[in-house]
Amino acid sequence: MTSPVLELRGLNKSFGALRATHDVSLAVMPGQLHALIGPNGAGKTTLIQQIYGAMPPDSGSILLNGRDITALKPAARVRAGIGRSFQISNVLMDFTVLENGIIAEQARQRAAFTFLQPAFTDPSLIAGAKIILDRVGLLARANQRVANLSHGERRMLELALAMAASPSLLLLDEPMAGAGPEDSRRMTEIIGALHKDVAILLIEHDMDAVFTLADHITVLVEGAVIAAGTATEISANDDVKTAYLGGDPQ
Amino acid sequence: MTHPARKPTLIRLFIDSVMAHRLLWALLGLFALFPIVTIIFDQPFWNDIAMRIMVLGMAAMGLNLALGYGGMVSFGHAAFIGIGAYSVGICDYYGLTNGWAHFAISMAVCAGLGLVIGILSLRTSGIYFIMITLAFAQMLFFLFVSLETFGGDDGMSIDRADFLMIDLYEPLRLYFLIWLVLVIVASFLMFIVHSRFGVTLRGIKSNEQRIEAMGLTPLHYKITAYVISAVICGIAGTLFANWQEYVSPDIMHWTRSGELMIIIILGGLGTVAGPLLGAIVFLLLEEFLPELLHLFAPAYAENWMIIFGPLLVVVVLFGRGGISGLITTYMPKKSDQQVRHD
Repeated sequence: MTSPVLELRGLNKSFGALRATHDVSLAVMPGQLHALIGPNGAGKTTLIQQIYGAMPPDSGSILLNGRDITALKPAARVRAGIGRSFQISNVLMDFTVLENGIIAEQARQRAAFTFLQPAFTDPSLIAGAKIILDRVGLLARANQRVANLSHGERRMLELALAMAASPSLLLLDEPMAGAGPEDSRRMTEIIGALHKDVAILLIEHDMDAVFTLADHITVLVEGAVIAAGTATEISANDDVKTAYLGGDPQ
Repeated sequence: MTHPARKPTLIRLFIDSVMAHRLLWALLGLFALFPIVTIIFDQPFWNDIAMRIMVLGMAAMGLNLALGYGGMVSFGHAAFIGIGAYSVGICDYYGLTNGWAHFAISMAVCAGLGLVIGILSLRTSGIYFIMITLAFAQMLFFLFVSLETFGGDDGMSIDRADFLMIDLYEPLRLYFLIWLVLVIVASFLMFIVHSRFGVTLRGIKSNEQRIEAMGLTPLHYKITAYVISAVICGIAGTLFANWQEYVSPDIMHWTRSGELMIIIILGGLGTVAGPLLGAIVFLLLEEFLPELLHLFAPAYAENWMIIFGPLLVVVVLFGRGGISGLITTYMPKKSDQQVRHD
């Protein structure tokens, strides 16, 4: 039995009377693509924020590769092995694609605090940046300014930056949001290829993508887990149908 | 890219860097040769204006590291100029006249104060950051107003510092001391902004959240940049006091913080040469616009700001990237990469 990459134990978070996270426990296994679905307002993003460290839970604990990271700040969690994409595409807009890769590479090397040698012409950084960009097929666009990229390409770049430090867990917050059908298809393809190297926790509204990609699905409603299982189990689950179709079980 | 695998030498780095900052070094060269012009025209007063430009340009370059590169809109950097200037005055008062000691004390105090103010202010951002930095600067302003020992409101007159071999009362000695320090500060900034630290700082300005998601702590970089910019303003203040032979709380009035910002925006935000260029234009206009107006419309000579104001608005509105932005747009360019470097 292998141990999970990410484990949540009895996580709770309330905003006043609203219980945004209600006793959530789940485990993401190595190599697993774990999808988190649920209707709007189910508390998916709140949960991701707690895993990432941007929001402290009221109680419960978060373990990454068996290590308790509940008290760590986001940057420290990234160094511990979490990579993430954001709901709104989040890259360094004022730079070229290659420069984005270079800044990610120097962060990966944990050597960003030097003052002398220029970074953007450093051969060791350029080489690393190219590897980072190649993973999502953006190498050909390396010298483009990010402002000139399409929405889909920016999403790819963000994925590349999130993967730069070879994290053990990738948090993807609606990677298909705002993408056209062609971009969604490519994104699905790339996420499918990535997850051989990394465990992924995916929030997504695009159900086609979720059912194509996910090995395991957890359904969140009003902050609590109401069902968990494989895609076939979830699509046959009556509670899930009720939650999605609006409380009318015939 | 055809870069050798081995690490380039320091001299190679310096030459490459100078080539990427031709505008900056052209300006520094002009300042080195300018005294010849004043001698030919027999106008020693012009040197005074040039010194003032170099000193305020240096302070603006320092602030630009925080403001232009780091996106930290500090409205209180005049305080550090003031601390630098009072370092000379207060040391003089207690009999310490060595200029190098003045520099060391000014830099140390500005670093310490910059660290404290930076740590406290950088918990906030946006408008709150602007207001908090202004509040700290005003605190220091009123502190010096209240210190009767050091002249209070009226300030104190000081002797130019003693630099061992160099007598600052000899002609042009102070001029070239200021020039030399400006060259050192400019070289330092030229390296910093393209270094790993510098590009991370620019990344933070562009998207702090993404830099954090790369596993870096943005606050460390911002505080470091803030402290460096405070120290540079302190150095400028120390030189300012020697030039003016007088220091009063006026030097750290909040309008000077605004003046520094105008100089930076006028010259070009987030460029090394920009603030120096901005200082040249700003101070020359301030000096000669009233005289020019006096020739054409003597009745309005006192209201020269009526022309000055709209002129600033025009540059900010139509010259995105300030004056240095305009120059680099129309200068012959080697490659796309080079454009953004000045």
